[in-house]
Amino acid sequence: MNCGTIQSRAHCSCYTAPSQFHLKTQTMASASTPTYNSNNLENNSSKNASRESLRMEPLADVPQLPGEERITDKDIIYICPFNGAVKGKVSITNYRLFFKSFEVDPAMTLDVPLGVISRIEKMGGASSRGENSYGLDITCKDMRNLRFALKQEGHSRRDIFELLFRYAFPLSHSLQLFVFLSQEKFSENGWNVYNAILEYQRQGLPNNKWRITFVNKQYELCDTYPTILMVPFKATDEDLRKVSAFRSRNRIPVVSWIHPVNQAVIMRCSQPLVGMSGKRNKDDERYLDTIREANGQTAKLTIYDARPNVNAVANKATGGGYEGEDAYQNAELVFLDIHNIHVMRESLKKLKDIVYPQVEETHWLSSLESTHWLEHIKLVLAGAIQVADKLSAGNSVVVHCSDGWDRTAQLTSLSMLMLDSYYRTMTGFQVLVQKEWISFGHKFSSRIGHGDKNHADADRSPIFVQFIDCVWQMTKQFPTAFEFNELFLMTILDNLYSCRFGTFLYNCESVRDNMEVKEKTVSLWSMINSENRKYINPFYTKESSRVLYPVASMRHLELWVSYYIRWNPRIRQQQQNPVEQRYMEMLALRDQYLKKLEELQISDAPRIANNSNSPASPMQLVHHVQTPL
Amino acid sequence: MEHITTPKVEQVKLLDRFSSRATAGTLYLTATHLLFIESNTAASEETWILHHHIAVVEKLSLTTSGCPLVIHCRNFRVVHFVIPRERDCHDIYSSLLLLRRPASYDDLYAFSYNPKQSEQQRAGGWQLIDLASEYERMGVPCDHWQLTDVNRNYKVCDTYPRDLFVPVSASKPIIVGSSKFRSKGRFPVLSYFYQEKKAAVCRCSQPLSGFSARCLEDEHMLQAISKANHNSRFMYVMDTRPKLNALANRAAGKGYENEDNYSNIRFQFVGIENIHVMRASLQKLLEVIGTKSLSMTDYFSGLESSGWLRHIKAVLDAAVILAKAVTVEGASVLVHCSDGWDRTAQVCSLGALLMDPFYRTIKGLMVLIEKDWISFGHKFADRCDQLDGDPKEVSPVFTQFLECVWQLTEQFPQAFQYNEWFLIQIHEHVHSCQFGNFLGNCQREREELRLKDKTYSLWQFLLNDQENYVNPVYQPGFSETHPVLEPSTLPFSFKFWRNMYHQFDRSMHPRQSVLKQVLSLKASNRDLEKAARALEAKLQKQGVFLSIAVDSKSKDPVHPVRPKSLILSAPLNCKEDEQKLSVCDRVRTVEGSSSAENGYNEEEEEPASFTKPEPTLVSLERGVARMTC
Repeated sequence: MNCGTIQSRAHCSCYTAPSQFHLKTQTMASASTPTYNSNNLENNSSKNASRESLRMEPLADVPQLPGEERITDKDIIYICPFNGAVKGKVSITNYRLFFKSFEVDPAMTLDVPLGVISRIEKMGGASSRGENSYGLDITCKDMRNLRFALKQEGHSRRDIFELLFRYAFPLSHSLQLFVFLSQEKFSENGWNVYNAILEYQRQGLPNNKWRITFVNKQYELCDTYPTILMVPFKATDEDLRKVSAFRSRNRIPVVSWIHPVNQAVIMRCSQPLVGMSGKRNKDDERYLDTIREANGQTAKLTIYDARPNVNAVANKATGGGYEGEDAYQNAELVFLDIHNIHVMRESLKKLKDIVYPQVEETHWLSSLESTHWLEHIKLVLAGAIQVADKLSAGNSVVVHCSDGWDRTAQLTSLSMLMLDSYYRTMTGFQVLVQKEWISFGHKFSSRIGHGDKNHADADRSPIFVQFIDCVWQMTKQFPTAFEFNELFLMTILDNLYSCRFGTFLYNCESVRDNMEVKEKTVSLWSMINSENRKYINPFYTKESSRVLYPVASMRHLELWVSYYIRWNPRIRQQQQNPVEQRYMEMLALRDQYLKKLEELQISDAPRIANNSNSPASPMQLVHHVQTPL
Repeated sequence: MEHITTPKVEQVKLLDRFSSRATAGTLYLTATHLLFIESNTAASEETWILHHHIAVVEKLSLTTSGCPLVIHCRNFRVVHFVIPRERDCHDIYSSLLLLRRPASYDDLYAFSYNPKQSEQQRAGGWQLIDLASEYERMGVPCDHWQLTDVNRNYKVCDTYPRDLFVPVSASKPIIVGSSKFRSKGRFPVLSYFYQEKKAAVCRCSQPLSGFSARCLEDEHMLQAISKANHNSRFMYVMDTRPKLNALANRAAGKGYENEDNYSNIRFQFVGIENIHVMRASLQKLLEVIGTKSLSMTDYFSGLESSGWLRHIKAVLDAAVILAKAVTVEGASVLVHCSDGWDRTAQVCSLGALLMDPFYRTIKGLMVLIEKDWISFGHKFADRCDQLDGDPKEVSPVFTQFLECVWQLTEQFPQAFQYNEWFLIQIHEHVHSCQFGNFLGNCQREREELRLKDKTYSLWQFLLNDQENYVNPVYQPGFSETHPVLEPSTLPFSFKFWRNMYHQFDRSMHPRQSVLKQVLSLKASNRDLEKAARALEAKLQKQGVFLSIAVDSKSKDPVHPVRPKSLILSAPLNCKEDEQKLSVCDRVRTVEGSSSAENGYNEEEEEPASFTKPEPTLVSLERGVARMTC
């Protein structure tokens, strides 16, 4: 944290003061350096310069990543929605927009990676009247808008607008994304986190029922799937090819996860190409039956279609559809009523409207309800619970939606998170994201629109944000079950947009291979794993075999205020949760006791031999509560 | 008891409120309780319902399985019995109608409750809280404030206590004159003295000003209060009612202070609704949350239209304004509503809680309640419906106060010595009529009832198991750095108090609590310390001297063992029945649609645990507290 932040926090950390006086000071602090800003992590040293010297040479301390280049500096007015216009200077690099005020004390800063920007607009014209009516309006992907005002004389806006437009949307200008220019180095290599073969081995695969196939080695079977797929042992590669013809985008049913005890599996795929005429495909039918038979206990294979029933029916018109009862006699079909990407996009947009810049006060609850955001969260979680419940009971399931890369990814990954405690660890979660989202072709590039100027693209949708929100809801309900904390989830979301890491780039593995992402970019996990201490949840207790069933009820779901409303200075941003802090203190105390006990026992050791009633050894004691790292 | 015709009914079914679960058992009607004992042999769980807790008994129309009897309790328990024979049901029903609300105080449970204490212990219990020393702690009497004996015989105001503090310059004629100009004779007196700025919080009832009446003594009285504070040239007069209500009161010869008649006052309305609105609001809230399979939309719109959280916010907003005026501006504030015993008590006590860390301790909250609520004549008998009285007088004003305190504990977990269970227990006993503290409407009435000789004090009872009420994350040092709390009162800062309103609904309880985790670590630390001590002592005996210091600063100053509360899933000490609870753990959750938590393999080896073999992770936090001791 820079010194300004610490000072200002010191006198506002505990209150959200309704009085004007307090509000002012506090506003500065929180708005200037949000606690969870993805970028203040690495700038510790550069920000330490004293504030006095900053006054003399404005923007001497613009944080800079290795490989980051300064593009331009300019005097500008930031129109802060919380405390009005602030004069300062903006510096634009090929990675970020950095603003620093010179008139308020402590200095107010904004540090926004250009990747976060979804839209830049000019506001006002050269002849506009009124103060600060001429400038830029920047819409961000992370629930905020930034407005800057410029002097009207001399087309001062044109240059900065063009530069910003160019560097915020490099792909629309035949430029490279910053991630390819970055020279960042980390001690860990995050690209090694996930290895498909090793992950299947961890699950106990392949075995005599399931085999690895390399039929997609060159992405010839399905170009949005990974190269390594787990399929029924009995199905030949030829069968797979036949099935692929009957599944949208050739996304055939493959194993996502196998239950270690009852051997039930979660399969994922896309919708069958039934069409208006109700086409059938014997190979597909036989293939699903092979899946059902594989664990020997499943009387009826359950197919979860994530969509609402009507949508599934409507899809028939475009050649899609769902598994009919007649064709798939040994299967039951359940619709999970989760809406499509367009509904989710609009829902989050509505949520933004009620929380930014001002939080809707008079009808908070009904406004929140009208966004339906929590309702969607509830449906996604409830769907995943059903999948997990079915699996625990020993039944294999197939999950799909339309193309099997949005809702399907949400459902499989969340149910795996409920079923397998490995995915609740720091590494396990990274594996889960790598596997279910990245390798199976969630279209990150289209959904987020990295470096692309087309802000109104109908392909954009916060599906992954919704998934992380669901994970957060689970961490709230099971505070000791997850190794990672809230900051970890926020860091993932911040870097979903930032274009600082290669992790979330492009739509599928085949494109990533082409672009040599692994070779040319740094993984987000490299950064996180190099300093994982701050992402650790102190309450985490290691456990191996517990199924988590969150309650998908509105009495237990809550809005993730510290993420969605984090730009509002009236949100109390405690440096650390007091409960967490207290717990850490107690853990430290525990370690002191253990040390003391050990030392005492060492001096007691000669006596132990002839004295049997000595207390348990400290090593035994340490087991039942985990050690903080 | 003459009211009981059928003391025992067999084959009664108890239906779960939210699921379709039913348990069979036997219903007993005793002089004080309605008791249901499950006939399930393994774990025959008991449900005790104190007659005084019963708010509403309903006999629904006959069904094939029997006659349904629904009981709503003041502690938010709702039970649904099905009694096989209609006659039995009718007997129980009519008995309960008579038993729940006795005609005279003597029939209340407090007069028959006998905890087997000596006379001395009883007297000791009543001496625990001493308001004289509380005023001394605040710093009165002093140069400007003195004790007046004007109300020694309850002559001036029969709903006030005997001992009152007034400005030194307010002579007896002024006091008497002022009291004649105030509704119910409740003239302005000191409620809290903020020593640091010599500013006073005073309370009174509305002036009898009508449209134009004046009273010179009353004007003098306010002037005297204002003059007693040299920090500010003016004082605030805070009318806690909505302006419209105050205006309407003028027609009845009451009203509010005219700024022109009183020198140096600043008059302000803060708009808290009256008891009738609050009663209806809680009613609506309970209806909404009691709905089976509630949709997200109905939940949010119901919660909002009930207005409950909005009212909580209004009360807390007023307290924040009060605290700010006193601590920041150093001005004295006079608070009133209509009669000065409902909203005034809420605002004065919450204001004091925000300003003074003492009230955030266990003893301090007792003192606060004793002072602002009990001694100043909040009409507990009428508001809590202790006797068969006017249903229009019943209102959850005190419940609101407790909820406001809870909302604050949620925002400042480290600032409060007590936990939510403490607040729930107080709420429980305000309605139980088991202790003398809350009986009657004012001090005069209590003295006439000779409560101190005939009943026991709740405070003694609560202090006896104080360890159950200690908040493990309380940091006494926090109050030094943050003597005044400034809570956020944005709408999303107010949460629904699930553990209060769903206290007895198992399926609504959280799955896991951090609090529990903290407590078990704390317990294990204590054991480690003990082990270290023992070893040290042993070594010393053998002549080895070793001193390995453990940093005692971070050591816990307080005692808590694992509290036994519903929130922490263990019953209160009267009935130890953890086994029973574990049986009931296997309940399918409503809306969550999950089956019981089942670990899928048993590979988990139980580590050699030093503390009680309480796993740090307990799957379901459930349990129903037995509140009737």
